[in-house]
Amino acid sequence: MEPRKTAGEMNSTELAELLARVRAGDSDAWGELYREYAPAIFRFCRRALPAREDAEDATTEVFMKVRQKLGTYDSSRPFTAWLYKVASNHCWDTLRRRRIRQDLETGDLETLPLEHPEPDQLEQLQAAHTSKEVRDGLAQLPDRARMALVLRYFGDMSYEEIADTLGVRRAFVGVLLLRARHQLREILQSGAASPRAAAVGGHL
Amino acid sequence: MTPSGDRTEGLHFDEMTGLLFLDQQLDEGRAREITQHTNSCAACRELLRVLKNENVWLRQAMIAEEEPVPARFAEAPRRGGSWAWAAALGFGTAGAYTLWNGLIDPWMSQASEVGFTQGNLMSMLFFSGAFWNGWNSVLTAVEFLALGTLGAVAAWLLRRYFRRSAKFAAVMGGIICAAMLPSSASAAQIEHGSPNYTLAAGQEIKSDLIVRGADHAQIDGTVDGDLIAFSHIVEVNGHVKGDVIVFAQELHLNGPVDGNVRVFAQLAFLRSTVERNVMAFVNTLDLDEASSVGGSVTTGSQTTRLGGKITGDLLAGTASAELNGPIGGNVKILGRSLQVTPSAQIAGRAEFEGPEQPEIAAGAKLASPFQVTIKKPTPGYLTWRYYWHQTLRWGAAFVLGIVFFLVAPAVFLDASNSAKKAGLAMGIGLLFLVGLPVAAIIACVTIVGLGLGIVTFLTYVVAVYMSQIFIGEWLGEKLLGAGVGAGAIIGRLALGLAILRVIRLIPFIGPLSALVVIVWGLGAYVLTIHKRLRQPAVA
Repeated sequence: MEPRKTAGEMNSTELAELLARVRAGDSDAWGELYREYAPAIFRFCRRALPAREDAEDATTEVFMKVRQKLGTYDSSRPFTAWLYKVASNHCWDTLRRRRIRQDLETGDLETLPLEHPEPDQLEQLQAAHTSKEVRDGLAQLPDRARMALVLRYFGDMSYEEIADTLGVRRAFVGVLLLRARHQLREILQSGAASPRAAAVGGHL
Repeated sequence: MTPSGDRTEGLHFDEMTGLLFLDQQLDEGRAREITQHTNSCAACRELLRVLKNENVWLRQAMIAEEEPVPARFAEAPRRGGSWAWAAALGFGTAGAYTLWNGLIDPWMSQASEVGFTQGNLMSMLFFSGAFWNGWNSVLTAVEFLALGTLGAVAAWLLRRYFRRSAKFAAVMGGIICAAMLPSSASAAQIEHGSPNYTLAAGQEIKSDLIVRGADHAQIDGTVDGDLIAFSHIVEVNGHVKGDVIVFAQELHLNGPVDGNVRVFAQLAFLRSTVERNVMAFVNTLDLDEASSVGGSVTTGSQTTRLGGKITGDLLAGTASAELNGPIGGNVKILGRSLQVTPSAQIAGRAEFEGPEQPEIAAGAKLASPFQVTIKKPTPGYLTWRYYWHQTLRWGAAFVLGIVFFLVAPAVFLDASNSAKKAGLAMGIGLLFLVGLPVAAIIACVTIVGLGLGIVTFLTYVVAVYMSQIFIGEWLGEKLLGAGVGAGAIIGRLALGLAILRVIRLIPFIGPLSALVVIVWGLGAYVLTIHKRLRQPAVA
């Protein structure tokens, strides 16, 4: 699955030329690359991390890494896929590092039984909540659940890439996504995804 | 969600299968089965439809853009943006200096007159008044700007904790109010020596008197309150009705004091009556035969000569003591040598503890024989205290490490991670270990760079001490593995620091290892700071 395109997507030839110039040390080319992709990476980080300030820092740090690692990029693969991979790895590292000093990850949730959805209720749920409320609910999810959804539905990553980023077995990714969706539904159903609750949740 | 009544287990696929089907994660055969089943099963078809809608719903919610992208991500990074960092750092440092100058400097400048810090570069730079005072008016604007910048830098660093603008405004308002607070009023009369100060005989001050910065402070008149003096030489010939508190090179106390005398000086000569107690931390304490102390005498000094009358107890920690006068209470002396002359009298219990037998004249009038405890100095490593102190040092570094970890976990982990690049870290560490103090000293000798130099030096000292923490963490990780979680990190830190401490106890190797740890850890810290300050700017 192809990762999400940037707003001003350039064609593959232009991109290849741009990357070649960046690798050759052309500072203007680096500026162009940064301008082209930084907004998209910021949006990705904004979804993956609970706070806007974290996303700003992460975007800056992702591009530092990109600059360092550009030599390792395999040009036979899509650049955006590689870029999102760097960003997702960085965001996940950030969350993992922070989790060290936070509460234990909600590992117990992994064992909770899942109920089948009632299609009617699910449709009602979707109709009743705005995108903003969904994002607020997303911000309240445990880190791994939120990352899984963001990688899949914002980063358009494959199950293999998600498994690689989150350090789980590929077979577990489907379970992770399904549980994350259930958790999000519960948050929305309970009405906890108000802006205020989301703001508090963002700190957790 | 409640289970659907239309769907029967065993006949229909579950939600997980539906999700995997939509995400094309099922093998070909299973996918074909699902397709065939949904063609004939309305309930499962409905489930797939709703799940597919949910995919779209989630996707749309995530890509919706209600927040603007920060401007700095919408344009190419600017070349040379580090000047802003340098300016912020410079002003931040100057702000820190301003706080120092406002709170600590007054005390430090007074202490400079004590004489303890003679030859010290810091005191020389801080306390040569003419060198500094002329710049006060110029500094005011800079200090204000610096303080503001310091507040802004602090706010930026703490911005994650200021989610709400009201809190942010409150904190910034607090900083501004604190900066605008007037100096606290004082009931004391404050005199500045220029260069000397004299309270003439016959004059009386009806309040506390504070004399600061005088070469020679001479009190011939009367002080109807406390006398607090920070001067090079303090000479009191008049009457002080309160306490005398002196920080000086020399104190000559020739006039009566109704209260206590507390002195921090190199030399203290008392030739008068002190109604209450004397506490002296001095190089030499001399109570003349004409002096008398109504209370007790407590001293920590190199040389102690007590010829006057002491009504209360004597407690002295002193290298060399000579007792000539009468003492009404108990005597306890910890020191190297003690001489008790024939004119000495001790009414209470007398104890001495030291490496040499005291010389006690036969004519000395003692209420009871001196209890002498001879303690020969033993190698430190043979005493339990040595190991206790080592444990305390370990504990101090451990606690500091935990605090650092809790305050800045990312920096902590980055620094210990940077230590893995041992060669690079040591090279940079060596450069900074030698270069930074030199840079700080060079900065100090220019007025503009004084604040920067001092703060750099203080930061350097802290960083040198912190170096063991990063290496301790690295060492612990080598031994215990890279376990995740605060407990694992604290455990690694504890073990690593303990091993470093033990290595330091080994003769010859210990000091060398300490140097390596400092160089290494300092380099790791510098690498981390460098990494964090660096922007992805155009080269």
